[in-house]
Amino acid sequence: MKTGAAMEEEKITVELAKFGACTYAESDVIEFPWGLPGFPTLHRWLPLTVESHPSFVWFQSLEDHQVAIPTVDPWLLFENYEPKTPAYAFTSLEIREAADFATLCVVVVTPNAEEMTINLMAPILVNLRNHRARQIMLDNSTYSTREPIPRKAPASSKTA
Amino acid sequence: MLVLSRKINQSIMIGDDVRIVIVAVDRDQVKLGIEAPRAVPVHRSEVYEEIQRANREALGAAPAASGKPERATLRPRK
Repeated sequence: MKTGAAMEEEKITVELAKFGACTYAESDVIEFPWGLPGFPTLHRWLPLTVESHPSFVWFQSLEDHQVAIPTVDPWLLFENYEPKTPAYAFTSLEIREAADFATLCVVVVTPNAEEMTINLMAPILVNLRNHRARQIMLDNSTYSTREPIPRKAPASSKTA
Repeated sequence: MLVLSRKINQSIMIGDDVRIVIVAVDRDQVKLGIEAPRAVPVHRSEVYEEIQRANREALGAAPAASGKPERATLRPRK
């Protein structure tokens, strides 16, 4: 958080393939120092939400405007998700306690939207204090990279 | 790719911080010990490759989105 800022933070507008025009400030950016598996050269990302998909957090690359990866809070879908996070995750991201970080998992959305899968085996951890993130591979995981998402939505869904 | 031959109990240094030790050899299987700092991830290659594939698939499958994009608010697990 900027303190005593007499000046507003400079904002940048970019044209994104998926979302059109988007305006952001440097403090909105999440840095992935190690990139992401499959995208090792992309280090600067913006987490976005849009009205059409309120539960998704899209990681939008600022270095390749074609790249936007959908993620979701895994506990919205799996209340009992208990990732056994290896030490390197916390060490390399300088995470000291639970309040320091958010967890998001990549989702694959099939054309039939009822058949989504989620990667519970490699969650993305975001250090909320220093804005750095990394996709982590859990040790000896019984979780799948393509875990089917239960069709029944959690408690708060409306019936048709 | 650098190819080195080692006997059991011999080892290889990668950089200053990573050591790979040949622990055992049994027919077609080699048991390796890895010493690395806590900050360095160590994984079987096929695991890493599967994550790559899954990420690329997520990008390819992503649905069209509409509405003005907003910077997401990220929160720790409750």
